[in-house]
Amino acid sequence: MDIILGIRVQDATIIATSKAATRGISILKDTDDKTRELNAHNLIAYTGEAGDTVQFAEYVQANIQLYSMRENDIELSPLATASFVRNQLATSIRSRKPYQVNCLIAGYDTKKDQPTLNWIDYLGTQVELPYGAHGYAGFYTTSLLDKHYRKDMVVDDGLKLLKLCLKELETRMPIDFKGVYVKVVDKDGIRSVELD
Amino acid sequence: MNTISQRFTHANTNDVANEINTVHDSLSHKQTLELAPSISVPPISQPTDFLRAHTDDASNPDCKIKIAHGTTTLAFRFQGGIIVAVDSRATAGNWIASQTVNKVIRINPFLLGTMAGGAADCQYWETWLGTQCRLHELREKERISVAAASKILSNLVYEYKGMGLSMGTMVCGHTKKEGPAIYYVDSDGTRLKGDLFCVGSGQTFAYGVLDSEYKWDLTVEEALYLGKRSILAATHRDAYSGGSINLYHINEQGWTYHGNHNVGDVFWDIRDQEQSFVNVDG
Amino acid sequence: MSDPFSINGGSAVAMVGKDCIAIASDLRLGNQSLGVSNNFEKIFGFGDKCFLGLTGLATDVLTLKETFRFKTNLYKLREERSIEPETLANLVSSTLYERRFGPYFVSPIVAGLGHKDNKPFICGFDSIGCIDFAKDFIVSGTASDQLYGMCESLYEPDLEPEQLFETISQALLNAVDRDALSGWGAVVYIVTKDKVVKRVLKTRQD
Repeated sequence: MDIILGIRVQDATIIATSKAATRGISILKDTDDKTRELNAHNLIAYTGEAGDTVQFAEYVQANIQLYSMRENDIELSPLATASFVRNQLATSIRSRKPYQVNCLIAGYDTKKDQPTLNWIDYLGTQVELPYGAHGYAGFYTTSLLDKHYRKDMVVDDGLKLLKLCLKELETRMPIDFKGVYVKVVDKDGIRSVELD
Repeated sequence: MNTISQRFTHANTNDVANEINTVHDSLSHKQTLELAPSISVPPISQPTDFLRAHTDDASNPDCKIKIAHGTTTLAFRFQGGIIVAVDSRATAGNWIASQTVNKVIRINPFLLGTMAGGAADCQYWETWLGTQCRLHELREKERISVAAASKILSNLVYEYKGMGLSMGTMVCGHTKKEGPAIYYVDSDGTRLKGDLFCVGSGQTFAYGVLDSEYKWDLTVEEALYLGKRSILAATHRDAYSGGSINLYHINEQGWTYHGNHNVGDVFWDIRDQEQSFVNVDG
Repeated sequence: MSDPFSINGGSAVAMVGKDCIAIASDLRLGNQSLGVSNNFEKIFGFGDKCFLGLTGLATDVLTLKETFRFKTNLYKLREERSIEPETLANLVSSTLYERRFGPYFVSPIVAGLGHKDNKPFICGFDSIGCIDFAKDFIVSGTASDQLYGMCESLYEPDLEPEQLFETISQALLNAVDRDALSGWGAVVYIVTKDKVVKRVLKTRQD
């Protein structure tokens, strides 16, 4: 099971996704990036049915970019982005072949100067959360986050907390997830971060 | 000659009756089982499938018999002995059947057993384990070791393997020979000795908190708090855990009970004191 | 448990008092056993004295919330007045029946006061739009059995707003405390002819 983790701090949202791409009993790749940039300040991290995930992420990515091209380079806000993704999934679940994709959307609202984290599952359930995860990762990390998360945390504190979560996942998860890619979304956009 | 005549007697032509008799025979051969009342097996070829069809909420939500499930229990060893902490919720499907279940069974003044899984299975067999331990004492003029006690239980559940028993338990105790010891025993027949276990539907939440703060050198007070805090984390996030927290400490003097802590009150106390659970307002 | 009505959990209840109504819900949103959000309101206002409670599958709760926001806004533009509770009830019913053969997995409840006469109105629905008119109370959600028990024993007719608040709060709180999938906070709306009071209740967090 893939790991998709998100933590919102005061000035940014942090996303961690596992590097392992597993099919059956083999790890096919240990440098798999399970995120797509939707626009300058919105990042989608996804997990779910093989094939569906990338198809879906790239489909919403294309549509969100198309919107900006048509509308005089207006960038969709995180809430609008998340609502669009939710709407796609909610429509898809009642179709003949639904996308089985769970995702987190990390965004930074440049108008309100606020970072956001939206949790959306394959049914189209959407909630704004301070921290969240999909799959088994949530079962191990939410209790840790409940204990250590503070409202006044900044990126560095968030990364420290993330490391604590990853340590727990490494000790208790039955399979090797080959480490994680960490990305930060803040006022300057999306950037990758190396954890030491 | 005997075997030929037997094959044609009425009782033996009935396959179902045969199977029931075989099960009964194989179980009553066990010396340890003699004290337990005989347990009847449904007169069908696959008792397991039958039981699952009628009691397993996950595979058949319409099942009429809802067995009480869902728990968080933990036990860990540290410098000062052993801490045992459990929640007290019993659920039957989504219905909260009780918030005041006692999930720690006091086998004797030096031995505790925790309960997770089927409430009746745990309660029955751990009480039974208590009598076996007492008999051991009377026979051997010596208290039973934790290893032996846990093995009696694991051997017993193994006899019933595949028949639908559901239990995940920790046998915790202190003996001169072993010092403080914890054995994890479940209904698959697994028996593991270890320093730290969390069992039940809320186990992962408890592991999260426990792993991050656990050190061998914890003081008794710190360890008790960590046990309580780990169960609290699980009761918060896991729908099937809650009610109150029961705390125990075991050392060379035996176990001591450290009270029942209602989650309804303890949650707010700990939240205010730790400044944690910031996501919860009120 | 793959029953769509109990994947996310949640409960709601509405009651009629003397010239007032109350509608309340819990705040939990879960993914089976895992609690995900403690801030998922299930009561939505349409017009100033008209409320809709939606419990069941969360994705459908969100979809229907938006659908009714859209439909009631259009209604307001066309009619130049807010929608009446009775009218909303019929709108909910026909919207649900449009999906007769692939239903939304929700159990809605409607509560409000008439805009002119301030007449209390409550009703509930099944997932395909059958309206259940009631004079006293309506319950819905994963703790509906428990809510029936609480309401049958606590409810009395013609309660004043403050007493109605107490009654509905006690009914909801004690019902969700016996349901594994509901709770994690609660919200109550008390609607009288000249104001709406919203109160957030402090509840057990397990």
